[in-house]
Amino acid sequence: MIAFEGVFHRFGAVQALEDVTFAVPTGTLCVVLGESGSGKSTLLRTVNRLVEPAAGRVLLGGKDVAGADPQALRRGIGYVIQSVGLFPHRSVAGNIATVPRLLGWDRARTEARTDALLEMVGLDPATFRDRRPATLSGGQAQRVGLARALAADPPVLLMDEPFSALDPGTRRGLQAALRRIHAGTGKTILLVTHDLEEALALAGRIAVMAQGRLAAEGTPAAVLGPGAPEPLRRMIRPGTLALHRLAALPAAGAAAEGPAPGAPALPPGATLADALLLMLDRGADRLSFAGNPGRHLGMAAILRAAAP
Amino acid sequence: MRRRATLLALEALAFLAALWAAPRAGALWHALFPEVARPTYLQDPWFALLGSHLALSLGAVAIAAAIGLPAGILATRPGGRRLRPVLDAAFSLAQGLPPVAAIALALPLLGFGTAPTLLALVLYAALPFLRAAVSGLEAVPPAALDAATGLGMSPWQRLWEVELPLARPVLLSGLRLAVTLSVATTAVGAVAGAPCLGTPIVTGLANANPSYVLQGALFTAWLALLLDRALALLAAPLAPGEAP
Repeated sequence: MIAFEGVFHRFGAVQALEDVTFAVPTGTLCVVLGESGSGKSTLLRTVNRLVEPAAGRVLLGGKDVAGADPQALRRGIGYVIQSVGLFPHRSVAGNIATVPRLLGWDRARTEARTDALLEMVGLDPATFRDRRPATLSGGQAQRVGLARALAADPPVLLMDEPFSALDPGTRRGLQAALRRIHAGTGKTILLVTHDLEEALALAGRIAVMAQGRLAAEGTPAAVLGPGAPEPLRRMIRPGTLALHRLAALPAAGAAAEGPAPGAPALPPGATLADALLLMLDRGADRLSFAGNPGRHLGMAAILRAAAP
Repeated sequence: MRRRATLLALEALAFLAALWAAPRAGALWHALFPEVARPTYLQDPWFALLGSHLALSLGAVAIAAAIGLPAGILATRPGGRRLRPVLDAAFSLAQGLPPVAAIALALPLLGFGTAPTLLALVLYAALPFLRAAVSGLEAVPPAALDAATGLGMSPWQRLWEVELPLARPVLLSGLRLAVTLSVATTAVGAVAGAPCLGTPIVTGLANANPSYVLQGALFTAWLALLLDRALALLAAPLAPGEAP
């Protein structure tokens, strides 16, 4: 678990963090959402002590990080940044092996781990192991960055705008890879972004930052509720708050018993926003679930979910 | 790359052959300088002059590196940044002092021979190392530094494993400049009596023997150019994907 307790920080005259308090439960993927200058990256960097708070505490697994040796602390936390920061003089495998080498792993263990990680992030080990970073595309480089962060199997992963520099298609591919890795490993992940779409695609919980303060924190649907804070409303097109809220809710959660023969079928993993758009598109007020003929979804259930 | 290396090796052989031939080429020197009574330099064996020239100039480069590189590293650390203008001014001043003047000033303290020459050369060659270290280390991508720190490298590990390897091309070009400067400048050591390829030049000047001057100048310049190109080969950028 990561916990922020009354964290303050300032850069010169700028108040970067002001009394930030919230916790990220173990195994949760928490997205810190905010515009540039909101303090979101500064907050992330207090966890691995790249930034030392002026006041307040940051707890990792119940222990104040200020009491830990910074190098040992960082070797136990995965770290991924927007500009990737691969070491250009080392091969892909050499980059991934950075932390295992710092920890003194033997060669066989490091090599086995490197190959397993390349598989995990969706790169063929035989093809990519010996490549230089300069020969990789942006998406491939960030996959290597992710593998490097996961190398020593840290329980916590910090990701600072990891996909923001990638084109939309590549970004969706990496988001899918991250969701898969999170589901498979149960890591606690703190991910910073300015992109609400990305937050909705990834987050178990969302923390909204504005001007150094925590504006809201909770599940995506709760944060996007009728009481959504002004900074969050500014990130979306006016009038689309309810649609975004529906995009944060899985359609399966609003399903009712009973078949709906002949109704259009929703694919697995669809959200209520997908369901509503399908209804509008097909002129239907009932949908069935592909692969689950015993259940259906009605328009009324969507309306109830949209106005909690 | 391989072809350039082969050509350079052949040229080095030609240089050594010319050095061997110089005392045996009396006919050539007579033809070039018919008015000079004894145009062939026979006072010292050329290979002994070459050996002491290299020892002196490369020894000075090693000492200059041992001073200039740590100073450059210090000037790029968070705690040492304030020292940077001071270090730069001190090293620039040291290089600004002409080596002949440095030798003259050092003579009363260090006497004749190798010691004042070595001092003058070190003063002259330290600045390229400081400048190369500072600009090479400053050019390391900030993202690589952020990643290195964030992954848990100590400041020393970051320096050894990330910063210095990435600064390597710039450091090598600094080394190349220092070697070329030092090898070309070592000749002035002959003024203080340090045996080197400059000895025939000084002897020739003292005895109005332009043939000696030509022979000394020829081999000094050739040696400097040879080493310059050898180091250029070493510093050549690696092709993408090529291991260092």
